Amino acid sequence: MLSLRSILRPTRRVHAHCDVPCGVYDPEQARIEAESCYRIIEKFHASTDELFRQRCVVVKEARAEETKHHIDVMWHDYFKPEHVEQYPDLHDVCWKASKAASKVKQSTDLEAAKELLGLIDRIDEMWKGTGGLGKTRLNGRPS
Amino acid sequence: MSRRRPLLAVLGAGAGIAAGVAASRWLDVVEVRGSSMAPSLLPGDRLLVECRSFSLRAPRAGEVVLAADPRERGRELIKRVFAVSDAGDAADLRGDAPDESTDSREFGALPLSAIRWRAALRYWPPQRAGLL
Repeated sequence: MLSLRSILRPTRRVHAHCDVPCGVYDPEQARIEAESCYRIIEKFHASTDELFRQRCVVVKEARAEETKHHIDVMWHDYFKPEHVEQYPDLHDVCWKASKAASKVKQSTDLEAAKELLGLIDRIDEMWKGTGGLGKTRLNGRPS
Repeated sequence: MSRRRPLLAVLGAGAGIAAGVAASRWLDVVEVRGSSMAPSLLPGDRLLVECRSFSLRAPRAGEVVLAADPRERGRELIKRVFAVSDAGDAADLRGDAPDESTDSREFGALPLSAIRWRAALRYWPPQRAGLL
């Protein structure tokens, strides 16, 4: 029940909420992890050392999972409805990129890794077209 | 004289609110946290909210409403109705500060059952008191 006291100091809080808006995004994060996958798959195929090959698989799977995470951050957090209007295939590209990252995680197919890089480059184009570096990265080092 | 007027207005409004509140279970007061509704609502603003309207009709675009946070149980959000779905069963909620708001653009439209309270007026701070 309301009292004069509660009117002076409401205890019910309502949140004009924002997730911590760091606002820093760059598909390069996904790109670097995907490049790791690409190189590791090359090394995997070039080696006959079974132990080394096993390590390649373990590391590649972890890198592919990271790639997927960074793609998802772009998709879920950076891109907004107005960006989808600008790039109608945005959802399709991000979805395919996530799937391609899964495929790279599961296989040692170099073509899959190449396709993943291509899709990340498409995300990069859309990121650049909607603000890119100027909007989502610090300009030089903060003083 | 003019310096006293805001104080009188606040006391008058306060007494009015107190009377109204005592007489009604439809009213409550809330304090705003966060800045996704800036510049219309700022952190620390105190508002009178009511739950009568939405028991009679659906929210309308432009109204400031409270909604259960779909991502965190027990938390209430305050946002503006951007649009109501064609079927009339869900509302797209947005913050007035789009760059600093987590809203329906991320969590999707909310069912009207999640929206029961409408923000009616701000009574604090006095210099920005008035209907919303």
